[in-house]
Amino acid sequence: MFVFDWLSLIFVALILLGAIPNIFYSSGYLPHIERKLHYQLHYFAFIFSMLGVVVSANALVFLFFWELMSLTSWQLILTEVKENATIKAARFYFTMTHFGFLFLLLFFLIVTDGDLTVGFAAMKLSASHFAYPTLLFFFLLLGFLSKAGAVPLHVWLPYAHPQAPSPVSALMSGVMLKVAIYGMFRFLFDVLYPWPIEWGIVILTIGALSSLVGVLYALSEHDIKALLANHSIENIGIILIGFGMGMIFDTLGLTTLSSFAFIAAIFHTFNHMSFKSLLFMGAGSVLHQTYTKNMEKYGGLIKAMPVTAFTFLIAAISISALPPSNGFLSEWMIFQSMLSSSHIDNISLKLAIPFAIFALAMTGGLAIACFVKAYGITFLGLHRSTNAKHTHEVNFLMRFGMILMTLVVISLMLFTPFYMHYFDKVMVGLGRASIYAQIFPNGVWNMHSVGINGGIVSPLILLLSLGGVTAFIMFAYKVFGIKTRIHNSWACGYKTSAKTQYTATGFAGPIRRLFDWLYKPEEHFSKQTIAGHETKFDDSHYEVHVKPLFEKVFYTSIVKAVNFTSYWVYRLAHFEQTRYAAMIFNIMLVVLFSYRIFAHDFSWATFVLEFFVMMISVRILIIGDKK
Amino acid sequence: MILYFVTIILLVLIAPLLLSYIKATKMMLLFKRPISIFQGYRDFSKLMHKETIISEETSAITTYAPFLVLSPLLIVMFFLPPVVHGSYYVSFVDAFTITGLISLSTFFLMLLGLDSASAFGGMGSSREAFISALVEPAMVLTIFSVSLMAGNLGVGQAGVNLAQHFPQEHMASFLFAGISFFILLMAENGRIPVDNPETHLELTMVHEAMILDLTGVYLAIIETASSIKFVIFASLFASLFMPFGLEFTAPIAFLIFIVKLFFIATLVALLEVNTAKLRLFKIPNLLGLAIVFAFLSLITFYVLGA
Repeated sequence: MFVFDWLSLIFVALILLGAIPNIFYSSGYLPHIERKLHYQLHYFAFIFSMLGVVVSANALVFLFFWELMSLTSWQLILTEVKENATIKAARFYFTMTHFGFLFLLLFFLIVTDGDLTVGFAAMKLSASHFAYPTLLFFFLLLGFLSKAGAVPLHVWLPYAHPQAPSPVSALMSGVMLKVAIYGMFRFLFDVLYPWPIEWGIVILTIGALSSLVGVLYALSEHDIKALLANHSIENIGIILIGFGMGMIFDTLGLTTLSSFAFIAAIFHTFNHMSFKSLLFMGAGSVLHQTYTKNMEKYGGLIKAMPVTAFTFLIAAISISALPPSNGFLSEWMIFQSMLSSSHIDNISLKLAIPFAIFALAMTGGLAIACFVKAYGITFLGLHRSTNAKHTHEVNFLMRFGMILMTLVVISLMLFTPFYMHYFDKVMVGLGRASIYAQIFPNGVWNMHSVGINGGIVSPLILLLSLGGVTAFIMFAYKVFGIKTRIHNSWACGYKTSAKTQYTATGFAGPIRRLFDWLYKPEEHFSKQTIAGHETKFDDSHYEVHVKPLFEKVFYTSIVKAVNFTSYWVYRLAHFEQTRYAAMIFNIMLVVLFSYRIFAHDFSWATFVLEFFVMMISVRILIIGDKK
Repeated sequence: MILYFVTIILLVLIAPLLLSYIKATKMMLLFKRPISIFQGYRDFSKLMHKETIISEETSAITTYAPFLVLSPLLIVMFFLPPVVHGSYYVSFVDAFTITGLISLSTFFLMLLGLDSASAFGGMGSSREAFISALVEPAMVLTIFSVSLMAGNLGVGQAGVNLAQHFPQEHMASFLFAGISFFILLMAENGRIPVDNPETHLELTMVHEAMILDLTGVYLAIIETASSIKFVIFASLFASLFMPFGLEFTAPIAFLIFIVKLFFIATLVALLEVNTAKLRLFKIPNLLGLAIVFAFLSLITFYVLGA
């Protein structure tokens, strides 16, 4: 019924690391929630169900906890229903998560032969007899990636995560998405093991696309929590890039490189859990103090909320993958595993992987831009609204939660070898050789790539030298005894005020303009001109909204298509009987003609003749005369 | 070990000289009376004697960020390929760490721009974020291609390998990588087609806009950081794309290296005089060119056989 191998235990550790600081934060947040009992009940049931998912050993228990996880998180989104958007977001989440559940159920019904209580070994046996393993693979993908939020099933994330109370957003984004990653590991390794090479390529492509799409939409977002939710899409993409590289290397028989890529994926899973939870907590504290999610209303919060600002800065550095943070280390590993693609013999694959490298590097650059925006606009400069003026540091429990999470982030950076030891054990548990000794061949100082002539990084040395050099320069600055004077900003002699600062919209402006073809932004611009002068105005208003392209293409157009067909079906119900008879006659004609075409000899002449007969018959009998 | 430290100190010392030299060359080519090539040192010493004025709108970020802008770049100096054969060098640090450290420095510089609450700072940060986001992929791909040719991902080791065994058979991809890296050198250091280091017009400023509200020692630190950044890029270009002259004895090898740096500086000055500054929204075309050349370099390397 339950399984406690290294894979499960490492994910249990992940959930606990994410949940324990969160519990403190949540307790600090509690006084602001009206339905306390409802919240607490679902909150703890949510954590419990996530733990249940990662330790369950058969399909029934797995699906039970999976569904419990979905339902409790759905109720948690509905904790504070103040606006209509919350209900809409919750409904969207509910639909998407059950869309995924459906495919998981199909997957399990096939691999268990209908008996949902059998273990993984039995599932593997029936899966190996199933004639279409790729179908099973796609069921898994749809099931887990709709939860994890990978392209194109990611659209619900930026709606659902911001609407939940902040501790819950942190749990959902930081931890729940990782449970789906656990599912990928568990069922791809334990049930569908020998993978064709295409599967790895599919996952790599999805990963590369998700990372770019996530970060691009994050940049255009001004709602701080939606921005972070979009970054979750990006980071899930990065994890999937590592995962896909692992699968590709495995199929090609490069097992060491494959283990390295999988370990990189697990490491990034941990890192994303830590910094994303921390970022959501920080965003939650800001939201809690300013009562708005709009970044344009923040500004200068670092002065009133130093703890939040400092922890947010650490997380921002880490998520931007800047050395020596933990985010840098895991992205470094994923880069290294992609660079080892030069060992691949298949030339077309070899030529394709640089495009994934490009996507990941571009993501890194854009993530930096995005977090400079998120941090700079939120915490730096002058207060942009009265709400931002009257902020205080949050209460002790919330601060304590954030500090604990910062310690998790820092521990992932400082004790990388310790964590890596256990990630390696996961891979050993999944039937691979241990590669810990190859990653850390001489002590804990240097981390090696396992590729031939691979790179080496030394996080601790980097950290120490950065600290040392900075301290040295600051010491020199102190020794020189330079006088400091406080004065207002010069800014070329203009007066600085809250309104002269750059806004979040303006900050992302150049990038929005470059990716105009993707964003297709809706701009609203109005101004009060003076005496008819086009360029002189005393009041103006500019707003820009970006609706995700994927939402337009996949979701809105599906809704439109359903509406369209249902309209025509409705029209059909109002025909007279003769026309129904004519339709039946025409359908029979189609069947007969097509039978002749497909079953007997095909000739273009009769095909054209029959086509015209059909057209005339439809025109006269069904459409008839226009009134 | 002594040679190693001598190299670093020499490079740090030569940094302001190179930037002043570029400026002087440009002025001469424009028939102006050139500034002294020691102007950089004069500016530095003058700024060191001034008091620091901190804007009252700023926060702790402005107090600490200048140091964090400089220190990652100083650390990169320790990871550069050797100048002289037999000198100590850190062989293993790879391109990601180096680009990462440079990004870390840029990250704090951009925060610094936003911290002063002036429109100029935000504008500079926004543009810098835009440019560096596009530089990043080209940089990674270029260095990947070079390290494939050199047979090692460590930048220091790659420099040595290229000097010992130049990949004649991969001349095409080497050249493509060189072009790409040179575009990046111009873009990352804010030279003319991307940013004009001399003007203070709001339409053209990128780097200058971010540091508009800094004075005194803080300004000196940031100026040092930007000159060191130029030296990092120039010496990476010199070591990776002009890999010769290491086998001589120490003073001659140093001399050759410095000549290479000045050659690059002259090249930059000539390009700056002969091109116009691009509009901000045309910059992606230039950087796209760098990305395309980086891809071409990789593809030719793979197709012609490793």
